Amino acid sequence: MKKAIDDISTSRLPDGGFALRPGGQYRPDATAWAIMSLRLCGFSADPLYPARARLAIGQDEDGRIAVAKDQPQAFWPTPLAILAWHGQAEFDEPRERAVRFLLNTTGRHFKRDKDSPIGHDPSIVGWPWTEATHSWVEPTSLSIAALSVTGHRAHERVGEGVRLLMDRQLSSGGWNCGNTTVFGTELAPTPESTGLALAAVSEAVNRQEVTHSIDYLMGRIKTLTTPLSLGWSVLGLAAWGERPRNANALIDRCLTMQDRYGSYDTSLISLMIFARKAEGGFIHAFS
Amino acid sequence: MSLLGFLQDSSRTSRRDLIFRMLPRGLFTLLSLPVLHACMRNEPPAQVFIAKVPRYNIEIRSAVVSGFRELGVRLEEIKGKTILLKPNLVETRSDAPHINTHPAVIRAAIEAFLNLGASKVMVAEGAGHCRDALRLLEEAGIAQVLKEDRIPFVDLNYDDVYAVLNAGGNSRLKSLTLPLTLRKVDWIVSMAKMKTHHWAGVTLSMKNLFGLMPGSFYGWPKNVLHHVGLENCILDINATVKPHFAIVDGIVGMEGDGPIMGPPKEAGVIVMGRNFPAVDATCTRIMGINPRNIPYLASASGKNGTIGEDRIQQRGETIISVKTDFALLDIIPAHKTLRSL
Repeated sequence: MKKAIDDISTSRLPDGGFALRPGGQYRPDATAWAIMSLRLCGFSADPLYPARARLAIGQDEDGRIAVAKDQPQAFWPTPLAILAWHGQAEFDEPRERAVRFLLNTTGRHFKRDKDSPIGHDPSIVGWPWTEATHSWVEPTSLSIAALSVTGHRAHERVGEGVRLLMDRQLSSGGWNCGNTTVFGTELAPTPESTGLALAAVSEAVNRQEVTHSIDYLMGRIKTLTTPLSLGWSVLGLAAWGERPRNANALIDRCLTMQDRYGSYDTSLISLMIFARKAEGGFIHAFS
Repeated sequence: MSLLGFLQDSSRTSRRDLIFRMLPRGLFTLLSLPVLHACMRNEPPAQVFIAKVPRYNIEIRSAVVSGFRELGVRLEEIKGKTILLKPNLVETRSDAPHINTHPAVIRAAIEAFLNLGASKVMVAEGAGHCRDALRLLEEAGIAQVLKEDRIPFVDLNYDDVYAVLNAGGNSRLKSLTLPLTLRKVDWIVSMAKMKTHHWAGVTLSMKNLFGLMPGSFYGWPKNVLHHVGLENCILDINATVKPHFAIVDGIVGMEGDGPIMGPPKEAGVIVMGRNFPAVDATCTRIMGINPRNIPYLASASGKNGTIGEDRIQQRGETIISVKTDFALLDIIPAHKTLRSL
């Protein structure tokens, strides 16, 4: 883990934020992930203060945190920033503004035509990756997690978001980016979407409702060697008490695979650290 | 003959020149009428190369090098240059290797470019459906090729970016946000897969460039582009990025409910060229599809290139010798009129 922490620090910028890679542009998603993982590693508030402050500097008036200041429509890092600020009183104001933004923001939704080729219900309200587009599984899952952690688990938007996720669950188990069937054919699940969705609904639905998805991921995780899929699979299964016994070994092996795939970016290394430390799952790590 | 000699030899007299010199004057005039018509539509001629490659476990590099030679790719265009290969990397299922550009074709292109003196070759993709590009790379068999050939991979979904004016002006997007890696390379090579597509009709070298657009800014599955119009965005991306070369893997493509769920279709070809609409039009003709019935190809003709059969000089194999109809589905509206003349 020490090397992983060192690797993250190489992407730290003079202004306190983090880039995805050394020498790269500031990225709020990388910054939030670095904060979340370093907090679990025992870093206190002081050394993380500049990074949290950098996130606040990049926040828009309406509360959103966009990937880049000049591209406000790409606001999907907002829930990550909420989680990075969580528990730090100095950042209550920007965090609450970001929460209000999420509660007041939806994707683009519409009633399904009778002869529509898509299988999911597009009228259920969730969260999109970018402004004025449809809602998808991963931004909806992250928003549910951020709102649950900050005391809004009972909010109707969270309930609606959970309903969206359950509607997008594949009948054979698992989730993908958010398409169930198209022209009558069921699409395939992906481990990264499945792990994230399982983490998001872990305190909202019964196990029977996601059994197929847990089974899918328990079978799939053995084959995974890459950080995004493995990290979210570990966190998703942990949320349901199914963290594999060899999860840490899988994560350690994955970190060594940079010899094969090239250096992982800040978010991916942070996810690996987070998955290793958060043995109770994603949301539980913030309690 | 060495690869270098092979190319140098090709720069003298082309097969097309020889054929045209041998044509009787009257026949030449007759042939020239549609050419003149196309010229009036502002469609410069294009060359497209077709190679028969029946399967993946044979030597493919020579087919790529033959394509370079036939298409007049000059040594000085490659030597010392940085080449970005953009495969079609969508999803991985153990029962469906035909979803993605095959690693053997990627290896052939890597080795062909390096042997011609490219200083660096990289593979880059911004996958549209899956955020885990490394898993796709691993499970598609490409990671092993890149490791053996020491080729770097760039996940374009998470690259640093720059914004440029939308040079196409077909969609309402005023500017496009592009990966910074595009500014660091000399050649952008679209290594598409020959597939039908349930929204766009077909996905070939032009549509493949959707994967250049960073998901961090456009979402997954590139929501913004779908929202403002898939076909117009294909034209805008191509007009703005101005890609350099196309290599389409049609050895085993996909028919029916492409680009993910359709069955494999053995076409046994690699199709190459510099003019993307011409390459894609040739592919569609091989697939038994009229390119003028693909809206974005019809729109591209005269703007991004040409799709006119009379304006495309076919090199290598003829279309008729490799033509094989790709199955189309009645339930898919985008497939309905693709074959009609």
